[in-house]
Amino acid sequence: MDIRKLALVGALAVASFSTLWASAKAEDVKITVWSLDRDIQPAPNLIKDFNNLKTGITVEYRQIQFDDVVSEAMRAYSTGQAPDIIAVDNPEHALFSSRGAFLDLTDMIAQSSVIKPANYYPGPLKSVMWKERYFGVPKATNTIAMYYNKDMFRAKGLDPDKPPQTWDELVDTARKLTDPAKNVYGITFSAKANEEGTFQFLPWAQMGGGGYDKINTPGAVKALEIWKTIVDEKLASRDTLTRSQWDSTGTFNSGNAAMAISGPWELDRMVKEAKFDWGVALLPLPEVGSKRSSAMGDFNWAIFSKTQHPKEAFKVLEYFVSQDNRMFKDFGQLPARSDLAIPPTGQPLKDAGLKVFQEQLQYAQPRGPHPAWPKISKAIQDAIQAALTGQMSPKDALDQADQKIKAELG
Amino acid sequence: MRRLLLSISDGRGFDIALVSVPLTFLFMMAGLPLVYNIVMSFQEVDMFSLGTFFRPFVGLKNYATLFSMPETWPILKNTALFVSASIAGQFIIGFGLALFFWTNFPGASWLRGLFLVSWVMPGLVVGAIWNWILSGDFGVLNYLLRESGLITGNIFWRSDPSFSLWAVVIANIWLGISFNMILLSVGLSTIPQDLYEAAELDGANVFQRFFTITLPMMRSTIGAIISLGLIFTLQQFDLFAAITAGGPNNSSNVAQYWAWDLSFRQYDFAQGATISVIMIVFVMIASVVYVRSTRHEVRG
Repeated sequence: MDIRKLALVGALAVASFSTLWASAKAEDVKITVWSLDRDIQPAPNLIKDFNNLKTGITVEYRQIQFDDVVSEAMRAYSTGQAPDIIAVDNPEHALFSSRGAFLDLTDMIAQSSVIKPANYYPGPLKSVMWKERYFGVPKATNTIAMYYNKDMFRAKGLDPDKPPQTWDELVDTARKLTDPAKNVYGITFSAKANEEGTFQFLPWAQMGGGGYDKINTPGAVKALEIWKTIVDEKLASRDTLTRSQWDSTGTFNSGNAAMAISGPWELDRMVKEAKFDWGVALLPLPEVGSKRSSAMGDFNWAIFSKTQHPKEAFKVLEYFVSQDNRMFKDFGQLPARSDLAIPPTGQPLKDAGLKVFQEQLQYAQPRGPHPAWPKISKAIQDAIQAALTGQMSPKDALDQADQKIKAELG
Repeated sequence: MRRLLLSISDGRGFDIALVSVPLTFLFMMAGLPLVYNIVMSFQEVDMFSLGTFFRPFVGLKNYATLFSMPETWPILKNTALFVSASIAGQFIIGFGLALFFWTNFPGASWLRGLFLVSWVMPGLVVGAIWNWILSGDFGVLNYLLRESGLITGNIFWRSDPSFSLWAVVIANIWLGISFNMILLSVGLSTIPQDLYEAAELDGANVFQRFFTITLPMMRSTIGAIISLGLIFTLQQFDLFAAITAGGPNNSSNVAQYWAWDLSFRQYDFAQGATISVIMIVFVMIASVVYVRSTRHEVRG
């Protein structure tokens, strides 16, 4: 008797639990999002707001570290535990799209009233594409331009409203501004042997008519020769070879360098730390009238192809995109969109700088997209370092890099 | 049957059972990853096939590619230089300090303990501090050298290919001195004092006593310390990550950092595994030396 009773109770319990579970499932779809944003950055805040809307979709957030994004994502994907949505660095996007790890969003974007490809800058948009299909949505974007210390320009008798326009002018200006007695270098940038070095050099190569797929054009060789002149003549610190962009620009802020090549992420710190008048200029060109170009940084949103709820995940992305107009005001990041006007912040230097960065963004080129990007980037870094340390001539170094890259491109 | 039971409860079987427990543990924790790594070095590994064990075998191709890369030999040379210079520096300075504290002046044991602080600090913190000391334009070391008139222009320790490896060596020596000193101090304290008294009565001077008593008595300790040093320096990774990141142009790159760089920055896991296998061979040799020298110690 007892056993039968127990079985009945058990069956009832199982039944009620499963209905409960089923109804809970019907109520809320759970979407997981991974990104590297900290609590003051967009992702966690947008998710909080989204969950408050009670749309029947609950979003769970997990923060991952910058260095772990790709390895964590790959591990999760290959063991079948990938999140629904992830933010991935733009040069690495193609790696996942080409393997079918990301969901093809082309059809959903075509029907969406929020996400419109026409609204985006061409560079960021290109980075989410693979074989003419969209595999993601740009999350934010950035690029590099040239900061310069107007006070130092005045002190050396240079016109502070006429920053150098060409590469030769840049070297000349740097020579005039360099002042070893005062511990001032003419310029600072980063040729570090990681993605940052590639990020800083590629725009120069592109302006010189090259690109990652033809890195040894005469213009690109000239660019590397200019870099070498700058380092050899001590117009920039030798530590340029090992210093990150953030640390390099730190020396500009402290008045130890008269010009700095870096991105808009420096604006806030510069407003606080730099005790002098500064401005931002577009990157100098090989010659007057050459084609402009710049680097393109920052992350993209993507949906993993193994997601159980592609529609709901896409809705979450649509919500993120609908909040793009808050990106600069609330989080200091630039939306990758040309259709949004960014309201002034009330900081004249910062607003003027932002304008230049927005103009520079028009010329921003993505790195790749190519699934073997890390190896391509490594070949470029090796060439930069070999040339700047004097172990190879710029021409030989770039020829070697071109060979290595051609092998990867197949 | 009875014999078997008896052997398990008390006999050879019992010994085997006891030994098998740590052996299984070791195999699970260290052996399996090692085997996995070796297997991986013979396979074509792709970041999307990382989760599976069955990948296409490519024979010795990974090894062939490795040795055809132009950077391989310079990096192996750097590794040898880094290991020998670090061990020599750590050992000589550590031995000097151990002898110094052995004289037992007031406060000696207390000071000796303080030296361990450097050993306790995490490598990344040590790296960050040395980064600052070795910095080219505003570094403390350059300032000291300049003020004392040893150099006229700044040395770019981290960015000059002829100094970058030495920058890491200096930091690594500093990090390892205290460990060497403590172990050598222990070794020194086990030498019976009467040996020295007898030698002194026979008229041996300081140097004769050092070379005929101290050094021979310390033989096993020194063997152990040098092989441990070899293992520790071959594991040294944090300092490279923090100070030079292997640069510029691989001039300060060593095998252990390169293996990581290939695996986790270029996602070439097979090539990374191949370098690890080559390193395992060297560490194995060091381990054999270590085991032999400590076995000698137990018997003596």
